[in-house]
Amino acid sequence: MTGDTIAAAEPPVLSAEGLIKSFGRRQVLRGVSFSVTAGTLVGIVGENGAGKSTLLKILVGELRPDQGTVKRRGTNGYCPQAPTLNEALTVAQHLDYFAAAYGLADLSYGRELVDRLAYENYRGDRIGALSGGTQQKLNLTLALMHKPAVLLLDEPYQGFDWETYLRFWDLVAELRADGRAVLVISHLIFEQRRFDRIFRLKSGRLELDAG
Amino acid sequence: MKPRHGRYRTAVRYLLIEHGRNRLAIVLLIAFVPIWYLLISSVIPSGSVDFRFRVTGHFIHVDGRQLSLLTAGLNALTLIVGFVIFTSTRRGMRFDHRLVLSGYPQWIVIAAKVTSVTVVALAVAVYTSVILLIFWGPQSVPLVVVSYAAAALAYGSLGLFLGVLLRGELEGFFLVIMVSLIDTFIQNPIGNPAANKDFVQALPTYASTQLYVAGGFSDLVPWPFIALTLAWPAALALLGLLIFWLRTRVPNSGSS
Repeated sequence: MTGDTIAAAEPPVLSAEGLIKSFGRRQVLRGVSFSVTAGTLVGIVGENGAGKSTLLKILVGELRPDQGTVKRRGTNGYCPQAPTLNEALTVAQHLDYFAAAYGLADLSYGRELVDRLAYENYRGDRIGALSGGTQQKLNLTLALMHKPAVLLLDEPYQGFDWETYLRFWDLVAELRADGRAVLVISHLIFEQRRFDRIFRLKSGRLELDAG
Repeated sequence: MKPRHGRYRTAVRYLLIEHGRNRLAIVLLIAFVPIWYLLISSVIPSGSVDFRFRVTGHFIHVDGRQLSLLTAGLNALTLIVGFVIFTSTRRGMRFDHRLVLSGYPQWIVIAAKVTSVTVVALAVAVYTSVILLIFWGPQSVPLVVVSYAAAALAYGSLGLFLGVLLRGELEGFFLVIMVSLIDTFIQNPIGNPAANKDFVQALPTYASTQLYVAGGFSDLVPWPFIALTLAWPAALALLGLLIFWLRTRVPNSGSS
């Protein structure tokens, strides 16, 4: 099955049409089209180097495609694969900084996320002193703290311990139930039952994964 | 919804916190600047040196040790400010891009960068001038501060430019050191006939050097040179910020 579009009655909150991207002679994306509707959880899997992160960077606007278009409705939350944080600042300062970016009047949900992901004891710590897993928790928090309409998560649970991994899925389930669209990109998806749809990125094209 | 604090204020605050936590820069400021002055004042002998003072168009006789102290301060602050801004800009590129992708207006991030470079440059210039006073009192301290501030701005802008351009830290450090060495060494007239050549006018701290000599050894206030000091900082900052803008813009706004 190679139909790249999720059939849905309501208009998608995120759609990509004919995305093509090359780096030099290497064509990474060869015409990727798909869409995601509100309240759904979609996964994109693929081997290392398949172009998953490139696709996500294009979806979020960090990279420009050679061809094709991306349309989004509502706010975005982007969790990049590598924690993109400022080593000189503390966890609390990151929350404050991104609250300013998102135009948030208060930080209550951000603080709640810190508590629920169980790193509240590190609020006053600088990023350089945090473990990789704790940095990833903050990386994820910064993507979720404004309750965006579309969540774009690149390998979001890497470095998490089992407890945090489960908490992550609880959060995603809540956000989906709340009408948010969630797109998870990973080279490994263990529990396919959690997803509404899973696509496989292979040879630069997206295929609906038969499971 | 309104942000809790102004976005500009927030960005400036965190940029300054980041600069303040640059331990290498703090150590260099506290230790390197006074040691450098001390070394110069102990090693360089006192004696008359001819300096081509382009403010008046004539050669003037200045004390070699005092001139070297002024040059040492300039050399130290160009290195420190260049390092601080280069490190912060290079390390912060992806983070700044994420902020912009998250809704931080690009122009506010840019304005905050300009502000933080200016604040750091002024602070380091004032500090370096104050430490200089322990070793020697120039005729016009304010003019020396202005010349140091202008040089610090030029190297802050150089740091910004290299920070958005280069991927590696080592090449940035190397370039800051080399540019500062060439810039200050060639203008130093002690045993160096090249200092009188016309090409020195193209160097980043040419106007600053003329200014601190005016401040150190005369009661002149050369306004055209004060204006000229801004040429290099303005050019480098504009170039750096243009590259920053290109690298952090959101090419696919995509919302419909």
